[in-house]
Amino acid sequence: MGLINYNIEKYSPQQLVVIPLVLLVISLVLLALNMATTGMPVTPGLDFSGGTAVTIRTTDSHEQLQTVFADYPLSDISDMNDAKFLKFGTMDDAKYRSLSTLVSQKYPDASISQISETFGKSLQYQAIIAMIFSFIGMAIVIFLSFRTFVPSIAVVLSAFADMVMTAAVMNIIGITLTLGTTAALLMLIGYSVDSDILLTNRVLKRQGKLNDKLTGAFHTGIIMTSTTFAAATALFIVSWFGSIQILIEISAVLLIGLVADIINTWLTNVGILKWYVLKGGGK
Amino acid sequence: MNAKEIKALVTDWRVAALIILIVLSVIAIYPHIDQNGHVATNLQYGLDLQQGAWIQLELHAEVVGFTTDRPVSDFISNLSQSLDTNVEQVDANHLEIRKSFTQQELETKFSDAGGTLTNYQQGVSKTTADDVKSILENKINTLGTKDAKVNTLTGLNNVARYVRVELAGVDMNEAQQIVGKQGKFEIRVQTTGNATEHVIFGDDITSVQTPTQVPAGSNIWGVQFTMSQAGATAFQDAAIKYGATDDPDKHYLIMLLDNKTVYSAPLSTALATSLKTQPVTQLVATTGSGTSGSQQATNLEIHLHAGALPVDVSVAGSGGTSAPLGERYKEMALLAGIIALITVGFVIYYRYREPSIVLPMILINASEVLILLGFIALIKFQMDLPTIAGLIAVMGTGIDQLVIITDEILHEGRVPSPNLYLKRLARALGIIVIAAATVVIAMLPLALMDLSTLKGFAIITILGVLVGVIITRPAYGKIIMETLSK
Repeated sequence: MGLINYNIEKYSPQQLVVIPLVLLVISLVLLALNMATTGMPVTPGLDFSGGTAVTIRTTDSHEQLQTVFADYPLSDISDMNDAKFLKFGTMDDAKYRSLSTLVSQKYPDASISQISETFGKSLQYQAIIAMIFSFIGMAIVIFLSFRTFVPSIAVVLSAFADMVMTAAVMNIIGITLTLGTTAALLMLIGYSVDSDILLTNRVLKRQGKLNDKLTGAFHTGIIMTSTTFAAATALFIVSWFGSIQILIEISAVLLIGLVADIINTWLTNVGILKWYVLKGGGK
Repeated sequence: MNAKEIKALVTDWRVAALIILIVLSVIAIYPHIDQNGHVATNLQYGLDLQQGAWIQLELHAEVVGFTTDRPVSDFISNLSQSLDTNVEQVDANHLEIRKSFTQQELETKFSDAGGTLTNYQQGVSKTTADDVKSILENKINTLGTKDAKVNTLTGLNNVARYVRVELAGVDMNEAQQIVGKQGKFEIRVQTTGNATEHVIFGDDITSVQTPTQVPAGSNIWGVQFTMSQAGATAFQDAAIKYGATDDPDKHYLIMLLDNKTVYSAPLSTALATSLKTQPVTQLVATTGSGTSGSQQATNLEIHLHAGALPVDVSVAGSGGTSAPLGERYKEMALLAGIIALITVGFVIYYRYREPSIVLPMILINASEVLILLGFIALIKFQMDLPTIAGLIAVMGTGIDQLVIITDEILHEGRVPSPNLYLKRLARALGIIVIAAATVVIAMLPLALMDLSTLKGFAIITILGVLVGVIITRPAYGKIIMETLSK
């Protein structure tokens, strides 16, 4: 049973780890490059950089919209199914009020939001703190649960690689870091360790041949990831049709992260765990 | 499964607890048809799922730590003068400075005044934050806007830098007008019977002190306020003209906010006498003794401010959603939840091909979301889009953990003996508890911090995990044992 035949018997731990390791290095380089240009590993979106965003449902073309909003610092228009997503630069209070009047008169089907630069900065700062604490907290739980160094570090490393790879892909396809995507990344911390914990538990606490245990764990783990993947796909498709930007972004980040999770659980984590058991650790 | 077995299953405490919670949740959600013939529930929605607007204000003030060798009151009045603003003492070693200054500026001023600045945080103290909250609430209430929420965002250090106002049912512009609007404060004097005459308006009041006991230690509370010279003269003229100085008890002074009486009292004999000869700029309005007097003094202080906040504010963020868009988002979110459940069902079916396993799984999964929704309805939590993403995430992790249980129990052949079954269930629950603990820990920082909408998302995710581990997983373990032993 299963779509993929998981046969890792013939690969050595080194061979297993090499692909994700290369991906991880590439991802880190990409994040570093982004850091050099924007000052953040992942490009901050509206919530963190400040500005005004307007979502409207309209059939007006980009040119028409540009004419309508000619008096305002319109910086970007993007399409989402049947909705348009407009970004504006910073403007003063009076200008913002006149913009929101214009929007509500012209497009009754609209939502508008505005974040000041200082508020964005303080949100960004808190979001970073939250992520660091989440990650450290997760690592502590893992170490307390397994109480052995190598298997624990394997889980933590896999979760770290998940986040880094996801962040790199976000940069490539242009998903910015917002409150929504921060939430999604934090959700990934929780999701990604699920299958790692299952794997480690099966390998270290069960009797039997290593390869049987790995195959059994894969059998269960891949279904776990598939169900989550299915839920996230449903969310993605529906929010795409509904043009709900925040849900599109959250589900997209989850999907990317789950793919990274498959790579990191079944190559990185398995590789390290196999090396550890073959070396005589565990049972 | 025959009737007797079903009865045995239902009366098992794990299953019974689940059923009771489901029933309670449905009651809490209370789906019904409202007067307009629409399906309605007790669930409350955030401002991205219904028409409404939010405004987040930044409070321009600082809470700073200080040390000084001078008497504290001298130091404070000195600072207050050199900074040209109100300086309030928060506690033994913290001050609140009600104007925007950088840390460097304050360090200089502090050393000039004979003290040192020990730490610096932008925002206001908890007490001032509460004042700001009640001033805004008062203002919104007097304008008759219902369904308003005012929250100060207080960090872990008890300093509030932002206050968020949420108004359902109004658009962005109305919201800005409501929040920006000052109330009309007026003092009038009683002439004959119920007739009154105008004395001064609120713009003649230049400053208002926090409530104090007058005289100190008497437990009689009052609010001291200061009028401008012109205001004081107008006040004296009116008091003499309408006879308040000669017969205070027949000529009460009445304070009105937006034409509603908020305070009414006669001049004290001492004040009446001195007003006969000269204008008085500083007045004290006493409100009574004890807790009720103190409470009334606090309210009066707010009224004297006429809705003006004790510190300057600027708009840090705002947003709004129109009614049709909110309605559409709501429908889409519901659809996403249902489709996610169905898709997950297909994946599970593909794996197990056994309705007696798949059906309980899906039902348990759906019941988990139902219990969460019940809880959300009960605590009147406002569901927004991130919360819905959180709910769908809970569904994802929920089904994952059911898979772990099922696979552990099914491991090597089908029907395990009750003994072996319990051992395996315990092992599965062991994995689940670790996984659940990591999710809870990962979400905890968000739940404790004030990252606007993410707080709700984090709380719902944590609750979902807890409901799963405590209620639904054990029930599933019991149900699956019964079905597998067929």
